[in-house]
Amino acid sequence: MNGIVTLAQKEAKSAFRDHIFLLITGLFVLLSVISVYIGSSTKNAELQAYHDIVQLLKSQGITSLPSPPVIYPLSVLSNLISYVSMIGSVVAIFLGFESFSGERNNGTLKLIATRPIYRDQIVSGKLLGGGMVIGSLLGVILIFNLVLFILVSGMTPNTSEILRLFSFFLIAFVYMMVFYIATMFVSLKTNDSAFGFMLMMIIWLAISFVLPQLADSQRSFAYALSAAAQTVTQVPSDTVVSKMIELFSPAAQFQSIGKDLLQVIPETADINLGGLLLKQIGGLIEIVIPGLAVLLLSYRAAQKEEVI
Amino acid sequence: MLITENLGKKYGDFSAVENLNLEVKEGSIFGFLGHNGAGKTTTISILTTLILPTSGRASIGGYDVVKDNLKVRNLIGYLPENVTLYGDLSAVENLRFFGKLSGVKNVDASIDDTLKLLEFNEWKNRKVKTYSKGMRQRIGIAQAILHNPKILFLDEPTSGLDPQGTKELRDILLMLNRERGTTIFMNTHLLSEVTKLCTDIGIISKGKLLLADSIKNIEKEFPEEKSLEEIYFKIEGGAI
Repeated sequence: MNGIVTLAQKEAKSAFRDHIFLLITGLFVLLSVISVYIGSSTKNAELQAYHDIVQLLKSQGITSLPSPPVIYPLSVLSNLISYVSMIGSVVAIFLGFESFSGERNNGTLKLIATRPIYRDQIVSGKLLGGGMVIGSLLGVILIFNLVLFILVSGMTPNTSEILRLFSFFLIAFVYMMVFYIATMFVSLKTNDSAFGFMLMMIIWLAISFVLPQLADSQRSFAYALSAAAQTVTQVPSDTVVSKMIELFSPAAQFQSIGKDLLQVIPETADINLGGLLLKQIGGLIEIVIPGLAVLLLSYRAAQKEEVI
Repeated sequence: MLITENLGKKYGDFSAVENLNLEVKEGSIFGFLGHNGAGKTTTISILTTLILPTSGRASIGGYDVVKDNLKVRNLIGYLPENVTLYGDLSAVENLRFFGKLSGVKNVDASIDDTLKLLEFNEWKNRKVKTYSKGMRQRIGIAQAILHNPKILFLDEPTSGLDPQGTKELRDILLMLNRERGTTIFMNTHLLSEVTKLCTDIGIISKGKLLLADSIKNIEKEFPEEKSLEEIYFKIEGGAI
């Protein structure tokens, strides 16, 4: 256990001294803070506009007033879903792409492997180190966003909303860890860090952009066919094929869960957390299972001689 | 201290090491000589538990390198060829990391002792990436001896060092052997270093051990050859 913790501490220390990693992380934090500020200001403007209209109508003696806009507080943080999905995964890739290949190239992997620890402890140490960095990064973002949200919007989230927010960050952590684990596995299998990074960026592009867009295109196509057959629905909705495509995209699953948790979808904004997670259980499994599978493959790959 | 019996390593049909029988005595400085690709690094990789042999066995301090690999790792120190360590960390941070991994109890005191021994205190808090090759090699030695190993494995330790750095490294190794009684197993192809440093040598070619004995005995065995270099080429030539 000591070996795992020692490795994890070293991983965290090295990450926080890497200027490029710090730059990407800084960008991530900054964008999330800006988005919360803009989101909160927009909601405030919406409320102000409503109050202005009410005042105007009252001054004209009109008693039939429009109902106030329904504002779900967490929807102010909705941009976080895209930022975690896009930038968060890149942060995780950047954190993991040299985890083994870099150590192999500078000779330190041999030094670690000749210490009295098992090979699987090396993988566990890297995993814990990555988890510590990603966890502290998301923790900082959570605190910044929550404080800014309360200060700018003037709203205080209730217990249920705080639980939703924590659940979102927990799932964001799992989502980023899946990318970290996948990148660590690639790093175990290749000596060329640049190749590993490029490969992971291609996978990231496919998961985050290509597959969700394919699913969207398919939905639009199905909608157009329905329209032609005059069995049109109001908006393009999920089809069997679009769901099949999204099955291969943890990013699509994460975005769907994130939208539910952060009250972006009005229909699910009032469901309790347990019910919501149960509804999204399929999506959660589709995020977790690939990560677990690749982690097991990493433990297996670490036992092989060519890793060193 | 170190014994191998018919040790072998095959990669498919290719034999990197074949029927290697070696004995390295405690307190000796053993130079393992051979051309590039002769099987030196494969042998050191088996002995340091990095790879598994495909035949035979090897033991260090009585422990089998396969069955008791964790116990063997407690006895050994290792410096691979061209290791650069963690450039963004200082020497002390690098040593603290490797010391903790080795299970050193009072790691900061051990670091102080080791850096004093290697006369490196002045630069210990600078990032390793700012060091010269010679300084990095010295920190490489420091991480290998921090836990006071019984036997130190070095793979081409003078590779890339200038004459001054080579001399300093040689002095350090002699001092470790003399003051701590550390047994040293060194892969090299530099005969001049072997002559100045080693008490015993082994010569390997194409995975096969051609000769292993003390330098004194070898010189007696080859009275007509004037130097170790001539002996080496005679043996190597015979093998080819």
